[in-house]
Amino acid sequence: MTIMNILEIINLSVKYDAIQALKDINLVVNQGEIVTLIGANGAGKTTILKSISRLVKPEQGQIIYQGKDTTRCRPDQVVKLGIAHSPEGRRILAKQTVLNNLELGAYIRSDRLRIKADLEYQFTLFPRLAERRHQIAGTLSGGEQQMLAIARALMSRPQLLLLDEPSLGLAPHIVQEIFAIIRQLHQSGVTILLVEQNARLALENSDRGYVLEAGILKMTQKASDLLNDQRLREAYLG
Amino acid sequence: MDFSLFLQNFLNGLSIGSVYAIFALGYTLVFSILGIINFAHGAIFTLGAYFTYALAGGKFGFNGILANAQLPFQLPFVMALLLSSVLSGLVTVLLERLAFKPLRARNADPLLTLVSSLGAALVIVNLIQYLVGAEIYTFPANIYGNLPEAINFGTATKPINIRTVQIIVFGVSVIIVTCLTYLINYTKVGKALQAIAEDTTTASLLGINSERLIMITFFISGFLAGISGTLVSSSVSIAGPYFGISFGLKGLAVIVLGGLGNIPGAIGGGLLIGLAEAFVPSDYSGYKDAISFGLLFIMLLVRPQGLFGKKLIQKV
Repeated sequence: MTIMNILEIINLSVKYDAIQALKDINLVVNQGEIVTLIGANGAGKTTILKSISRLVKPEQGQIIYQGKDTTRCRPDQVVKLGIAHSPEGRRILAKQTVLNNLELGAYIRSDRLRIKADLEYQFTLFPRLAERRHQIAGTLSGGEQQMLAIARALMSRPQLLLLDEPSLGLAPHIVQEIFAIIRQLHQSGVTILLVEQNARLALENSDRGYVLEAGILKMTQKASDLLNDQRLREAYLG
Repeated sequence: MDFSLFLQNFLNGLSIGSVYAIFALGYTLVFSILGIINFAHGAIFTLGAYFTYALAGGKFGFNGILANAQLPFQLPFVMALLLSSVLSGLVTVLLERLAFKPLRARNADPLLTLVSSLGAALVIVNLIQYLVGAEIYTFPANIYGNLPEAINFGTATKPINIRTVQIIVFGVSVIIVTCLTYLINYTKVGKALQAIAEDTTTASLLGINSERLIMITFFISGFLAGISGTLVSSSVSIAGPYFGISFGLKGLAVIVLGGLGNIPGAIGGGLLIGLAEAFVPSDYSGYKDAISFGLLFIMLLVRPQGLFGKKLIQKV
């Protein structure tokens, strides 16, 4: 069986004005994997996710998703190709209800019955959201907002899910809950590219990891090997 | 003031107020999506009135290069009204392409967009004057069919006379507001617009093509300006190419009064200004504008977020 890559990033560089955020990044995500990006604040992890969903414009390089060059796509076109991004800071629509947020997650779809079924599926995945479906999203707790952000991303039925800091600012038991869901998603066949401050937890749940330092990829290995890497343990795993 | 006069003023106020409301909604839609005021909105209002006049078979006067011109066909007034509003919407989309989009693509300061829309307004107004001159055009009295000039809602001894056209204007405005409310709250396009209004980046991550929705917004906004231009001029007359400019300023008073970017606010503000003006005694009708802007002034002093606006709460 050959492993098919779903995403390939080739020589990607990104500049914010004069600041070089990413330099010659090469990265592969295979079908069905969870891949984690590790690195200090400002290392460029979020920028990689933003480049994939086209929120930032690359200076050079290519992003190939399922054999298609998406480097010139608009953000909304990328979503239609099957990539969903649960962004940094969650960016839920705070003024709208939980239900509206989820329905907007399915904006690109028109299969009404299946959208309804998926909505119910999200509610079984995230029972807390079911209780609060008519609540204004801005009034949810941080953990619930994170769940909403993930559930909303899933509503587009993505093949590749980009998760940016799903554990940021959350209580430990909520973090566990969220990672349990990530494992469940992985089992159901969704490919996940994860950015996470909590490197240990992320690697424990990943197939592979990439280590970023100041916009440059330092190493890539199986997650279990990274967990045992002496240098990495000192720097990120504490 | 006796009751019948009160009622008469009240109904007249509702009628003009409802047009202020739909006109102001055009500003509000664009503002809530892009955070800018389209100063050409008043010029589109004027344009809509002229379009309807031409489409309904009206003849242009002696001045301008289209002197004595007339379309070879004559549409029934309702058709002319709709077509003219659609045309106004299309012109507004074109305007968006020329005056707004290039600046947006460069992340220009909103102030620059404001200036460029002001420029667009001047171009439209002067083009109208160049083409058809500056005289007053009046619609024929029977444009809405052979209806009586006024309807008496009172008794023979205590008449409450409301001009038929005022009732039609009110009815059309109510229909428009209803349709728009439905569109915004219950359709996919409306929900996408609300998403863009709240956060453009999030909207694009949901797969919403914001450029396409911006175009739709400008179309609706132009449609609203065009239809209000026609409604007002069917009630009074087309008072020359500049007649939308003062109406445009009053529309600004309405949206600030109601709360910027707030849809119920635009409706409430419109009705309030319409009613306030209607109760100005006819001897002092020259002070009508002073009433609207006076209300605006007071509002800015005591409640700068507007009648329906929420206080901005900064989250720490």
